[in-house]
Amino acid sequence: MIKIENLEKVYKTEEVETTALNGINLHVAAGEFVSIMGPSGCGKSTLLNVMGLLDKPESGSYKFIDTELLTLNDRERSNFRKRNMGFVFQNFNLIDELTVFENIELPLIYNKVPAGERKKLVNEIIERMNIVNRSGHFPQQLSGGQQQRVAVARALVTKPKLVLADEPTGNLDSSHGNEVMELLCELNETGTTIVMVTHSSHDASFSNRIINLKDGHVISEKINKSRNEELI
Amino acid sequence: MFKLNLKIALRNLWKNKTSSFINVVGLAIGLAACLMLLLYVTYEWNFDKQAKNWRNVYVAMTNVPGDGNKIAATFNGTTTALGPLLKAHLPEVKYVARMDYGKKSLIANGQNSYKKDSKFAEPDLLKMYDYQFISGDPKTALKNPLSAILTESTAKTLFGTTDALNKVVRYQDRENLTITGVIKDLPENSSNRFDFLMPWSFYEILDRDVKDLNWNNYSFVTMVLLDQNADIDLVNRKVDGLVKANAPQNAQSQPHFLYQASKLHLFGKFENGKPIGGNIEQIYLFVGLAFGILLIACINFMNMATAKSEKRAKEVGIKKTIGANRSSLILQFLTESMVLTFIAVILAIALLELSLPAFNRLLNFNIGISYFRVTSWLGILGIVSATGLIAGSYPAFYLSSFNPIQTLKRKINAKGFPNISLRQVLVIGQFCFAIILIIATLVIYRQIQYIKNKPVGFDVNALVEMPQEGELKTKFDLFKTQLLKAGAVTSMYQSSVSLSHHGRNFMDIKWDGMTKPANTVMFNQVATSYDFIKTNGIKLLAGRDFSERFASDTSAIMVSASAVKVFGYKNPIGKKVTLFGTNAHIIGVFDDYVWDSPYKSNNPQVVFINLKQTGTITMRLNNANSLQHNIETINRITKAFNPAYPTEISFVNSLYQEKYKSEQILGILSNLFGGLAIFVSCLGLFGLVAYSSEQRTKEFGVRKVLGASVANLMQLLSLSFLKMIAVAIVIAIPIGYLSMVKWLNNFEYHTEFSWWIMPLAAIGTLTIALFTVSFQAYKTAKANPVDALKYE
Repeated sequence: MIKIENLEKVYKTEEVETTALNGINLHVAAGEFVSIMGPSGCGKSTLLNVMGLLDKPESGSYKFIDTELLTLNDRERSNFRKRNMGFVFQNFNLIDELTVFENIELPLIYNKVPAGERKKLVNEIIERMNIVNRSGHFPQQLSGGQQQRVAVARALVTKPKLVLADEPTGNLDSSHGNEVMELLCELNETGTTIVMVTHSSHDASFSNRIINLKDGHVISEKINKSRNEELI
Repeated sequence: MFKLNLKIALRNLWKNKTSSFINVVGLAIGLAACLMLLLYVTYEWNFDKQAKNWRNVYVAMTNVPGDGNKIAATFNGTTTALGPLLKAHLPEVKYVARMDYGKKSLIANGQNSYKKDSKFAEPDLLKMYDYQFISGDPKTALKNPLSAILTESTAKTLFGTTDALNKVVRYQDRENLTITGVIKDLPENSSNRFDFLMPWSFYEILDRDVKDLNWNNYSFVTMVLLDQNADIDLVNRKVDGLVKANAPQNAQSQPHFLYQASKLHLFGKFENGKPIGGNIEQIYLFVGLAFGILLIACINFMNMATAKSEKRAKEVGIKKTIGANRSSLILQFLTESMVLTFIAVILAIALLELSLPAFNRLLNFNIGISYFRVTSWLGILGIVSATGLIAGSYPAFYLSSFNPIQTLKRKINAKGFPNISLRQVLVIGQFCFAIILIIATLVIYRQIQYIKNKPVGFDVNALVEMPQEGELKTKFDLFKTQLLKAGAVTSMYQSSVSLSHHGRNFMDIKWDGMTKPANTVMFNQVATSYDFIKTNGIKLLAGRDFSERFASDTSAIMVSASAVKVFGYKNPIGKKVTLFGTNAHIIGVFDDYVWDSPYKSNNPQVVFINLKQTGTITMRLNNANSLQHNIETINRITKAFNPAYPTEISFVNSLYQEKYKSEQILGILSNLFGGLAIFVSCLGLFGLVAYSSEQRTKEFGVRKVLGASVANLMQLLSLSFLKMIAVAIVIAIPIGYLSMVKWLNNFEYHTEFSWWIMPLAAIGTLTIALFTVSFQAYKTAKANPVDALKYE
């Protein structure tokens, strides 16, 4: 589904030039759950941002089901993103002024889904995420785990082909972290492709494949046999 | 989407109560000022534009020739001969109507008599203005000389009803007039207002000068309705040619031209025969002030919105990530500013309703919002949209430009900082405006005081006057004897005009040793009786006052010091002057006094005895009696002479107060708007300081733990803001200085721009700003550091 070739990204400041991605090649098949790991500053978040069309690389190719995405303009990128991708962040990134229901509804509004259908879809996902009794609450009235559930719900409500997760358990304790990881696994089992950046090998163990980055290069790739066997 | 944006907007407003309050109050004040202005401008702009044909209604103007082929003055007075000439020879002219300037006249229904504004006009006036007839026929209403048209309120005052057709009223206790029409009251913003209108043919009966078609007496107004396709420049060339061909020509001949009647109110000031503005300048000033305040309020909104950008950045980042594009975000932020402006406008309308009565009293208007007119709502809607857009566009474009990755990682500071400089520029701009207004207020106040304290040239106290009407015209001497005998007054005279008057200018004067073939200096004339100087107390520089003891005084004149200067006489007493073709000798010279504008030197004046030119009776009250006793005595004796007339005694003192009115209004307005501008600016400053201290809570906590004192912290927080005020002072003072020096130079008599005004304005502004800033700074600096550090 995703073919990334020779991706390069350089950050320039007045004094230094840092190469964040240095000729990355990466393929992700549809329905895969891929973890990207590596030390701080290795370029994993940059890679995720480029994959989410939030950042532009200097050169390379990024194909998503045969569509080259790097040549799109801002508006096309934004449209492509809202139709095909969902995001989960470490710090949840919910809008404080909106309730749980409204936060989840937001991407549907941007996708111009009619109100009746929006309500149905949001209610479905709220039920699935087990946060029905929280739908009228504001984010600051929820625990971290609950907030991340809302964030996942928001990422999934548009039924995206690809979910990008940036340290989704980073701000959670282990039990809440596990809950979120199980949620992602369930999602993956229903066919959604997931790419997750993480520091935690525990979290990575939930994925099919683990890619290690260092200094902007892919240094190793590992198939997670246990998880694959589990799936078989 | 709109619903969601609205929800976010309202929740944000509720959450950030301080900034919402500052924004709403500031915008409400700015909007109230703007709406008030809009009402005022609409009122002024529509002056004389109520008639269907207003675009084609012209008034004949007269240019007065002066020295060196220049035009000394331009006014709307014409002779009786001009109107018929234009009507007979100009095909473009559809209607011509001659009128008088109008005056207060007595009108009575039996015993009930009232002084009302009266006017004489030719019947075609009814075809120029669409007067709405409640009863009567506009085609015939002014045909019969002994008829009158009443306005609705006059009819109600006289008869208690508008059903007054064919009833009879008595005019000036002299003639009975039949009512041939009752019309709706005239709009307040029209120049040709009257309470009752009488036919020109009646005027011709009353005054022989009116019937006589002459080219000398410019006491009449000529209104002209031109064909709608007429080329006004061509018409004016024709007018000039016609007058030259038909009127006797000499050095004093006064050329005429037609001028759109509706322009006279706002563009009625002429220089060398060309319009150079007029009341429109006051409107410009008002527009500047009101929009200035609204702009300050908009700047507050922009500053608060961008200052909070860090808070909003996360929201922008999230929305962009999940699919919002820039335009939807811009729309969202604009919705927010629109919601805020909408709340503010409701408050503004309430403020306006509360302040309009006082404003109307101050400016002598009667304006209000017409809630049932679509245009009012369109105006309000227009101003709300414009304000929302101005206030909201910068924050909307700025906030929506954030990069999602940076905002989500809270790196927005890096991008936010360069924008602080714009915020600083805006704050500096606000305070510049406020400081300039403070300077203006001080200078205007000083100028008013200067003019008020400048002696008018005679003793205004205990001096009263009344119109000379009815029996008082013919029995003045008896009236004078009785009042002097009763002891109410010590001295009195009659004269053609009040001490305070406009006009009555002329040039038909010759003197011995005159170098030019004809005089080109505008003189002022006052016809009076005996005891002119004795009564008013004007300083006599040489010679003596008119006296009954000298029979020859009927052909004597007194002249002002400036007239002597024009004549060039060293010893003026006894010298000959020819006035309107009659020789007269100077018996006295008096010091110049203020009779017209107190802001400039008045024309040289000639005073002569003519008992036939009645107008005003001026009296010096007897100080030996109480004021009340004197007034009661005058009232009683006047009533005995003139039972049909109400007695109207005015204090000369208060008549002179009227002369300062327009500058006094300017003073009050600049005070009011200056105060509002400073208040709204300080609201904004307070908001920024409050936000800045909230942002730096943790830093202050750490500094306090490390030993910083309250004073250290206050200094830290206040200094950056006070620096901006200092920059504003540096910019505003020269601008304020230059513009106010220019303003002062409009007046021939003006105060100097005192040096201390500048430091006073600077220190005043700094003090107010310091107070605003330190209030918040003290609160922050005194906070318990533990709370600050526990936070997060």
